[in-house]
Amino acid sequence: MSVEAIIRLVGVERTYRKGGESVRVLDDLDLEVPRGGYVALMGPSGSGKTTLLNLIGGLDKADGGQVIVDGEDLTRLGQGALARWRAASVGFVFQGFNLMPVLTAQQNVELPLLLTNLSRRERREHARHALALVGLDDRRSHRPKQLSGGQEQRVAIARALVTDPILILADEPTGDLDRDSAGAVLELLDKLNRESDKTIVMVTHDPRAADSARSIVHLDKGRLERIEDRRPLEPADSTTT
Amino acid sequence: MPWLLLFRNLFAHPVRSLLTLGSIVVAVFLICFLRAMVGALEAGVEASSQRRLIVQSAVSLFVNLPTSYQTKIEAVPGVDSSMKMQWFGGYYQDPSNFFAQFGVDAERLLRAYPEIEIVEGSALDFEARRSSCIIGEQLAADFGWSVGDSIPMVGALYPRADGSTWNFEVAGIYRALSNNVDDRTMWFHFEYLERSLETGGALGPGGVGVFVLHLAPGADATGVMARVDALFENGPQRVQTTTESEFQRQFVTMLGSVPTLLSSIGGGVLFAIALATFNTMLMASRERTHSIGILKALGFTHRTAFALLMGESLLLCGLGGAIGVAVALAIDGPVRGFLMSYGFTAFEVAPSTAALGLGLALSVGLLAGLAPAIGAARLRVVEALRFEG
Ligand SMILES: Nc1ncnc2c1ncn2[C@@H]1O[C@H](COP(=O)(O)OP(=O)(O)OP(=O)(O)O)[C@@H](O)[C@H]1O
Ligand SMILES: [Mg+2]
Repeated sequence: MSVEAIIRLVGVERTYRKGGESVRVLDDLDLEVPRGGYVALMGPSGSGKTTLLNLIGGLDKADGGQVIVDGEDLTRLGQGALARWRAASVGFVFQGFNLMPVLTAQQNVELPLLLTNLSRRERREHARHALALVGLDDRRSHRPKQLSGGQEQRVAIARALVTDPILILADEPTGDLDRDSAGAVLELLDKLNRESDKTIVMVTHDPRAADSARSIVHLDKGRLERIEDRRPLEPADSTTT
Repeated sequence: MPWLLLFRNLFAHPVRSLLTLGSIVVAVFLICFLRAMVGALEAGVEASSQRRLIVQSAVSLFVNLPTSYQTKIEAVPGVDSSMKMQWFGGYYQDPSNFFAQFGVDAERLLRAYPEIEIVEGSALDFEARRSSCIIGEQLAADFGWSVGDSIPMVGALYPRADGSTWNFEVAGIYRALSNNVDDRTMWFHFEYLERSLETGGALGPGGVGVFVLHLAPGADATGVMARVDALFENGPQRVQTTTESEFQRQFVTMLGSVPTLLSSIGGGVLFAIALATFNTMLMASRERTHSIGILKALGFTHRTAFALLMGESLLLCGLGGAIGVAVALAIDGPVRGFLMSYGFTAFEVAPSTAALGLGLALSVGLLAGLAPAIGAARLRVVEALRFEG
């Protein structure tokens, strides 16, 4: 590959044990995502998409193999180090938005900044900026319940990007949204990838959503089925097969 | 540490939080109050004089003795002096205006009770006029009475034959120098009461409730008690002589084993709020599961998760404890005044009691928060996020 891989999975295994039974959810999986890439992760329900995304985001640990993200082997990090790494390097967007219901939009976006050295004032300004970026500067003081689903998801995106992470991981971000709201969210992700150079991995069932990614990774029963390149990362320097 | 989140969580269910808060407030208040009450009950016994003996009927405190016993008792070796003392049981205007009134041998009062110091008016004046009385400083302050006033008293136990009130002129105001005498009592002439009964001016039981003996210097209390009791061994009425502290304790035990009862009520109350708080925190922690998952995904550590739930529990209980203690301290003065009229002089919500109340509340908070906090710290992100709170 001509572009440095920001995510590199080598022989990754993940097995869930339930009672005496064990289910191998991911099996000897290799995957590379280039810096600045935008990957859609597709596959039937239960194929291990969420599990894979959680491993990349350091929310879950692999039972075997290596998960190297931005030069860091996540399988070697302890709980605390992993938490610090997440705070600094990843922004998550979930299907269910996962905002704190008791906090306003502004406060939700400020939350991850509590883990930084920023002053109170800087935190407020960063959060305002992020909310402006997703077009919600007029909804700062609204609680999640006072927002539409699409607006909630845009607040969640603002929260994901406010710490300026290199990686944004989204698990079915448009799964709960109507067509128009989904369009707005996809447009936003596309903009982040294009203009802010964020590497994005997005799990989705929606072919239209997958369309906006640069490549589509198909997963089936815990194995990589095929990779489909949609748009070259850097048109001049493309080595698409 | 996301403090804002902690506070917002606390009031995410305002009704539930306020109910729990209320129960902690009531419990801490009760514990402080009961402890002060136990202290007051025991202080009376402890402060009582060892040099005074009380002679009462062997049958019951409510059976009077013949006044003629006094001379016989005074002849007993070791007895320095004696004084008749009779509970009057009247009230001023309304039965709720409660304070103690005793008919006594006026000229012997100050000898029997050296703890009484006249600060206004004069003892001589009191001794000279049969219808006069002396009253405690606090009593005078409560009703705005001063020397020279005439106090109309309704004789509940000793009604006057013509239905009128008894009138006692204030000859002096006293201050209590020690805890075993309160400064909300009215002392008047036993003779006045006795004469009124004899002449038919008033109705009620004759005789006298108790004799208060003052021991001669060097006299042995046990010996004197035995000799006085022996004197009336064969009637007409047998007596029981006790030290003043025994006598006071008898009041305390008469109320049932009150201190023990109060302490166990306190314990029960504490147990009840502990359960209520546990329940609140368990409900809260179940609701927080999803939030804790999100926080951890954002990079907050297990310590923050622990602190968030523990902080919520401690804050709830600490706040409740502080309010409870504050209420107890606020009613401290009024209750002391009220209890004084019943002869309990030492009711006080002491700093140690306040600290105990707050400490117990925080301990409950610590215990109630522990399981949820450990659960939150251990919670695995992936599972927490799957949990739809
Ligand atoms: N904590 C767990 N314990 C046991 N099995 C689990 C656990 N989490 C996931 N699994 C199993 O792992 C498999 C993959 O789950 P995963 O959530 O990764 O699928 P998915 O591709 O995201 O599916 P969907 O499209 O429905 O979200 C499923 O069979 C699931 O039952
Ligand atoms: Mg999934």
